[in-house]
Amino acid sequence: MTAASARGLKMTTAGRAESFEGRLARFRIVNAWWIRLACYALSILLLLGVWQALGNSFGVLFVPFTTTMGRLWEMLQSGPLLPGLAVSGKLYGVTLAINIVVGVTVGLLLARIKLIAAAFEPYIYTLYATPTISLVPFVSVMFGFDFGSRVLVSVLISIFPILIGVTEGARSIPRQHLDVAAIFGSTEGQLWRDVIVPYVTPYAMSGIKQSIALSMVGTLVAEFFLNPDGVAAVLLQGTTVVDSGWVLAVTIFISAIAVVLVGVGELIERYLVRWRHTAVG
Amino acid sequence: MATYSSRIEAAPAARWTWGSGLITRERLAPVVAGAVLVVIWEAWVRTHLPEFVARPSGIVMAIPSTIAAGEFWSDVAATLGAIMEGVVIGSVAGILIGVAMGRVRELDWFLSTYIRALYALPLIALVPIVILWVGYQPAARLVIVVISVFLPVAVTTADGTRAISKDYLDVGKIFGARTHNVWFGIALPSATPYIVAGIELGFARGITNAIAVEILASVNGMGMSVFTKSNELNENASLVYVLCLAIFAVSIRSLMIRFRHWLAPWYVR
Repeated sequence: MTAASARGLKMTTAGRAESFEGRLARFRIVNAWWIRLACYALSILLLLGVWQALGNSFGVLFVPFTTTMGRLWEMLQSGPLLPGLAVSGKLYGVTLAINIVVGVTVGLLLARIKLIAAAFEPYIYTLYATPTISLVPFVSVMFGFDFGSRVLVSVLISIFPILIGVTEGARSIPRQHLDVAAIFGSTEGQLWRDVIVPYVTPYAMSGIKQSIALSMVGTLVAEFFLNPDGVAAVLLQGTTVVDSGWVLAVTIFISAIAVVLVGVGELIERYLVRWRHTAVG
Repeated sequence: MATYSSRIEAAPAARWTWGSGLITRERLAPVVAGAVLVVIWEAWVRTHLPEFVARPSGIVMAIPSTIAAGEFWSDVAATLGAIMEGVVIGSVAGILIGVAMGRVRELDWFLSTYIRALYALPLIALVPIVILWVGYQPAARLVIVVISVFLPVAVTTADGTRAISKDYLDVGKIFGARTHNVWFGIALPSATPYIVAGIELGFARGITNAIAVEILASVNGMGMSVFTKSNELNENASLVYVLCLAIFAVSIRSLMIRFRHWLAPWYVR
């Protein structure tokens, strides 16, 4: 024991010598919370520091963090940002609403009517895989550049997680559930209310969670490429005049909104996990 | 009882078949549906819309002349080449960073501000700032594809390498595995399905974002041609390009599924 102490090894209560690795591992476990906080803080500080330093040396193409924030504040006070957000928000809301209503309805139809599924599924999956952005010119020629076309493009980008999720969910209802309902003589309405809807809800919700994020992509794509409008137009305005402060400010603004929306999606998922546990247990 | 089940579950065997059961109702349905869609499309354009609007017969007629042009092949080479290059760079970088994030918790915390946060964002919003920094040139497209692939691959690799079963690690320890053995011998192979899923997602985002850069930065390529052909009122040629992009996207998707089955046959999903 004294020999071990002489070699500089710390002794544990059990009397065994603990190596450096062991102590490090224990330190990492005991102080996990603080280390985590420090890591986050360090990485954010580093980001801001590097940004500020780069910004001060690069000049026009990469303005410093403080300048960017100043520009953002200016644009929020009296710029085109909030009116643009109102336009984009409307498109986003309509897109998400359509995704939920149409996605759930068509998803259930595809799950229940085998022939319709067999007929249209190959095309649905092809459409899903096709980069929707390349269909924008076709949509604009067929349907014009107005709000309806924007909604169509945006929906085509973001509806599939809900549609496919609901279909797969409804198809995976265990046979026993349906059989029990049949044995107890449930009517069509009861079957839907007590078996199908509760079973499909988690699948629909996780599709909606993905669609919350994707609808934002859809909104931006529709606004970028069908005659610029909304927040995307504000963003492009900065690119054409090569104003990096403007572009960075709008990008950060969009990112902040995205973080909030993704957070909402995550809340839904967390609620969902709990719901699933209670539903099963 | 059977009536309830059959509504949702597998349909009863098709009532009528031709030949030796090769042509079933389920196999015939997509052909019929496709034909109906094509006929409706053709008829609607012929009766309601101007001559230049794309219609199925026009697209088929436009295929030879579009494909014969040298411009078509240079566009294909430029766009698909940039996408493949970006996918390779982004995947390799994503896997390396992802394994490190998955195995070293502190690194995950440190990098998650950048990687996980950026991953959640609509990357298309980054296109303008990247164009501004890189310039109105093909390099911007490559940068965007690399970012689009790197982020999902890094995140899924990190998740996959973190979630390895403790049994594997214990066995590795017993056989005296060193850190690099654990990282690349145990964690990486067991995360294969996650990595392939990440690359698949990256591919899809990469294609979309590559097209977005081409249009916003006027970089020559397939996406650019879809829009220019349409502006020249050559809608049918534009749709030929869309068709090629769709074929590329669909075949990549099915290729990735096969790739996953081949690399990780134990993983059933």
